Amino acid sequence: MGRKKITCVYLNLGLTDYQTAWKLQKLLAENRLQQHIPDLVLFMEHPHTITMGKSGREENLLIDPAQMTGKGIVYEKVDRGGDVTYHGPGQLVAYPILNLSQIREDVIWYLRQLEEVIIRTLAQFRISAARKEKYTGVWVGEEKIAAIGVKVSRWITTHGLALNICPDMSYYDYIIPCGIRNKNVTSMVKSGKEDVTPAQVIPKMVNQFAGVFQFRMMPYNHVSRPVLAELLASHKMNY
Amino acid sequence: MDIPEDLQYTEEHEWVLTEDNTAAIGITDFAQGELGDVVFIEMPQVGDLVQQMEPFGTIEAVKTVADLFAPVSGEVVELNTLLEDSPNLINEDPYGEGWIIKIKFSDAAELENLLSADDYKNLVQ
Repeated sequence: MGRKKITCVYLNLGLTDYQTAWKLQKLLAENRLQQHIPDLVLFMEHPHTITMGKSGREENLLIDPAQMTGKGIVYEKVDRGGDVTYHGPGQLVAYPILNLSQIREDVIWYLRQLEEVIIRTLAQFRISAARKEKYTGVWVGEEKIAAIGVKVSRWITTHGLALNICPDMSYYDYIIPCGIRNKNVTSMVKSGKEDVTPAQVIPKMVNQFAGVFQFRMMPYNHVSRPVLAELLASHKMNY
Repeated sequence: MDIPEDLQYTEEHEWVLTEDNTAAIGITDFAQGELGDVVFIEMPQVGDLVQQMEPFGTIEAVKTVADLFAPVSGEVVELNTLLEDSPNLINEDPYGEGWIIKIKFSDAAELENLLSADDYKNLVQ
């Protein structure tokens, strides 16, 4: 790629509930389209949440939604393709808000780059992962370690990727992840990296976004990014 | 991956089959394989006017929700209504039963902007 490096701002929002994050993404996407803000990657973790996509089947839920609240789980029906997914602390979520018009107008290319970011990040921790023909996400052997689901509208991206670093894997007992039977899920901890945390993974993943997308990755600074600061503040996020 | 010689293509992974002044449009075998199972297609209405390179609908698959772009400008003359109940036809038969819409195009010169089978092969390899 011969183009000049595009600046992409990244920030870690920490523990953020799913609905707040989705509303923020929509707001940021609109502002990205209007060129008010640069390309972004939002990092965060969600509280225990089970999300169901448009094509999801209730039979892939192994727990009655009515019982979830008692177990501290939020249940969300979401406006995306795909089936049932779990999010929770210890799982790093990255939501890139990119304008693909200025990068490459190709959804499939974009999906591959996200997979590549995850694979290269895991390689930094000596975990060998790969994409799997016909299945979504990134896999370590026969076990899924990261999920991908994106939306691209007017070439602006929302949603993104979720990488299991050190989540409590017992929450996966409540679902058939992505509706795929007989396939298991794993995490970086389960794959042998005992003490790894999202705080350690984020800088490595930032570097991989830089390499894979040819971005100049810049940490968010509220002084130099007043428009972004205002948008975040509108969601009561004081960064 | 199947890339029929007699079709034209776009960089957004759509195929175009022209007959007289009508273009049938779908997504390629490569695209359906990469996007995964298609779960929903949002389409325009018959009679709507579309502009080349502008979105005319959306495709929702397990990995993505994305815009569909009009390869040519013109009027929507037919929709594949089978996709409402069976969007998976796009996965099963992308160049046949899985066609999406037909557009009566207004400017044949726009077809020159489309890719040949060879061009598309180079794009995806």
